[in-house]
Amino acid sequence: MESKRPLLTLNNVSKKFGGIHALKGIDFEVYPGEVHALVGENGAGKSTMMKILAGVITSYQGEMVWDGRPLKLKNPRHALDLGIAMIHQELSVMPELTVAENIFLGRQLLKGGVVDWPRMFREAEAILTELGFAHVNVRDNLEKYPLGVHQLAEIARAITSGARLIIMDEPTSALSPMETKRLLELTRKLKESGKSVVYISHFLEEVVWVADRITVLRDGQKITTLDAGRTDKKELVKLMLGKEAEFFEESYIGGKEIKDLHERKPPVLQVRRLGKGRHFADVSFALHAGEILGIYGLIGSGHFELGEAIYGLNHPSSGTIELAGKALRGGPGRAIADGIAYVPPSRRSGLFLDKPIFQNVSLPWLAHISRFVPAVAKEVAITRKVIERVGVRPPDPLKEVAFLSGGNQQKVAIARWLVELPKVFVVSEPTRGMDVGAKEEVMHILKQLSEEGVGILLISSEPETILAAAERVLVMAKGRIVSEFSEESVSKEMLLAAASGEMAQSA
Amino acid sequence: MAQKSLDNPNQPSRLRALLARSREYAPVWTLLALFLFFSVYSDSFLTMENMGNILNQVSLLAIMGTGITFVLLTAQIDLSVSYMATFAGVVAAYYTAAHLPQPWPIFAALLAAAILGWINGVGTSRLGIPSFMVTLAMSLIASGLSLYLTRGRILFDLPPIANTLGSGRVFGLKWLVIVAALTLLAGHLVLKYTRFGRYVYMTGANPKAADLAGVNTKGIITAVMVIAAVTAGMAGIVGIGRLGSATPTAFDGMLIDAIGAVVLGGTSLFGGIGGIPQTIVGLLILGVLRNGLDQISVDIYMKTLITGIILLVALVFNILFAGKKEG
Repeated sequence: MESKRPLLTLNNVSKKFGGIHALKGIDFEVYPGEVHALVGENGAGKSTMMKILAGVITSYQGEMVWDGRPLKLKNPRHALDLGIAMIHQELSVMPELTVAENIFLGRQLLKGGVVDWPRMFREAEAILTELGFAHVNVRDNLEKYPLGVHQLAEIARAITSGARLIIMDEPTSALSPMETKRLLELTRKLKESGKSVVYISHFLEEVVWVADRITVLRDGQKITTLDAGRTDKKELVKLMLGKEAEFFEESYIGGKEIKDLHERKPPVLQVRRLGKGRHFADVSFALHAGEILGIYGLIGSGHFELGEAIYGLNHPSSGTIELAGKALRGGPGRAIADGIAYVPPSRRSGLFLDKPIFQNVSLPWLAHISRFVPAVAKEVAITRKVIERVGVRPPDPLKEVAFLSGGNQQKVAIARWLVELPKVFVVSEPTRGMDVGAKEEVMHILKQLSEEGVGILLISSEPETILAAAERVLVMAKGRIVSEFSEESVSKEMLLAAASGEMAQSA
Repeated sequence: MAQKSLDNPNQPSRLRALLARSREYAPVWTLLALFLFFSVYSDSFLTMENMGNILNQVSLLAIMGTGITFVLLTAQIDLSVSYMATFAGVVAAYYTAAHLPQPWPIFAALLAAAILGWINGVGTSRLGIPSFMVTLAMSLIASGLSLYLTRGRILFDLPPIANTLGSGRVFGLKWLVIVAALTLLAGHLVLKYTRFGRYVYMTGANPKAADLAGVNTKGIITAVMVIAAVTAGMAGIVGIGRLGSATPTAFDGMLIDAIGAVVLGGTSLFGGIGGIPQTIVGLLILGVLRNGLDQISVDIYMKTLITGIILLVALVFNILFAGKKEG
């Protein structure tokens, strides 16, 4: 491989935002037919680097070489024209259009000024067959298909537009295990056909499996580039963090002993035969004070809707929810007053990005802080206390949330609920899209809260997250609880098997 | 990004603050530019009397605009305000003609507007009809009620309070301007310094997140629609006093100016950003522009066109100044 000429090279590339180095002296190259993975914590510089490669950021120091010639990208369009395509984490597909239209989005095949449908369908079919997805009907609307196919459409679009380098940003974060497997296989296929891929992911085992080489970034600097065949998750985690990862290391590496210490304490939350339309049915469990109860399920298994129901965001169609023996009814306002806190699975839907941190934190408590007129000084003081506790960086209550990294935004979403400690804390997907370091910090906060007696319902589709903190795990599949793990050694594989076994049976 | 190496934390935030400020002040520059232009090119523009005229001319818009500011801040829109103003004026005049003792016709007018506003609010928040549609329908209903009550005629019996506030003076100041200023002030105090005001901003900034934080967003949206209807009603009552009569289409034409002034000032149509100070700037831009074009020698048949072009340029300006946030 070293004998070939790199397709793309970065020589000593640096980028400053204000006075802060986001990237410092990065050397990086991708060869034709290579999958080169990029790993690092949030804020390590991955996204800045991606944006430079894709022509989003055009002012930086250093040099980019494309196919042997120095290159100065003007804009993303320019990058695309040269053959550099970027698959963003948030997909740019149109679910209401057909699969074929999505593949040819923006450059429909024309004949005499009108869309040449037969040819477009034919070519779309050809490319999907080539990629191993012959079963997808290109005439169907994309919305009929799961997320994995949406991603596929975007990749097919990149390929048909003649991309030679495809940058994938967290491509599997929303995919089911099966879809993930397909995507990884597809990535290998791309490589075999001579395409180059820059693969960015927090899922280290995927990275080790799919990549030829792995570059580790930390604090804007390149730590090292490794051969994927000669490294493992453990080494990567250490390189990324530069320190030991207490909670996650184990759960990343394999199985984990989970300990259930709370069976004897009285339950704080009692859910009985709860059902909600097509989302979930007949869900019963008890959450004890000071317990971290994990609810694991694949996306679409109804576990997120269960969390919403407990917080009062949707009204269950059957069953009861009792908090300390009292039946719960009503919306989030009531839930908050009763001592239930909630962090939604999607960070953006829970936060006001354009508003300062203190307004995000104080909103549920305004009536407590002041009867009529918000006392800003008091709000800021309260906010400072809680964001310092969870370690938001920078701990400036006046800063807008949009300026924080993803991990720090999530800490704000959690910090809000520390103003008045809840009895029950429902956290959905608290670490999605975050790096190991930030995940570790979030888990630390949850552990601390549980030690202070808060009952925590940890809902997630990421097995690592569940295993990192849960003391007892319920697995949901197709809207029902299918198994429970406690006082035993649980591995990621066991969770996945439990969650997908049921899926296979009823499918 | 890279918050870990805080070697120089001030520089970027200062730069951002500067950018944010230039965005906020873009409408102010527009206003100053127009003001300077007309001061230089017209002898009659920059006089005390004319300044008073401008304030007088934008007062009704200001009363109406206060309510619209609330609505836009929650990312909704109200297309029925001007028709509500007409309707409230008609109701006040109708009951005055029917010899309902004063000030009951005024209360009846405000209550009628509030009820229509409440229907707007419930239709939007509870039933989920887009506010664009529900208020469009309401504009026809309000307009229809005005026509029905007046049978198309002009009503000349007005409540004395309306006459006083619409065309009277106190200490040499027009009551109309005072009412407008007080309405704006009240709106500002509510938005900036009350819990309700904070809820309005947060509901507009991200309705889902506001819901999750326990804010009764449906109630907030209903409330702002009622506020918009009531301020429109106030504008209608004061307005008939200014005109000296209530006609079934008196204020219908104010809709575009009222919403335009609020948006021109920098209050976002997408909610969460803006406020009464912005609305005041927007009102003044519109007022200076309309008045100034009267002062310089322009073909009167060109005035609407020129106003439109200048407004468009001002809006483009606002957007350009807003710039892009760096991710």
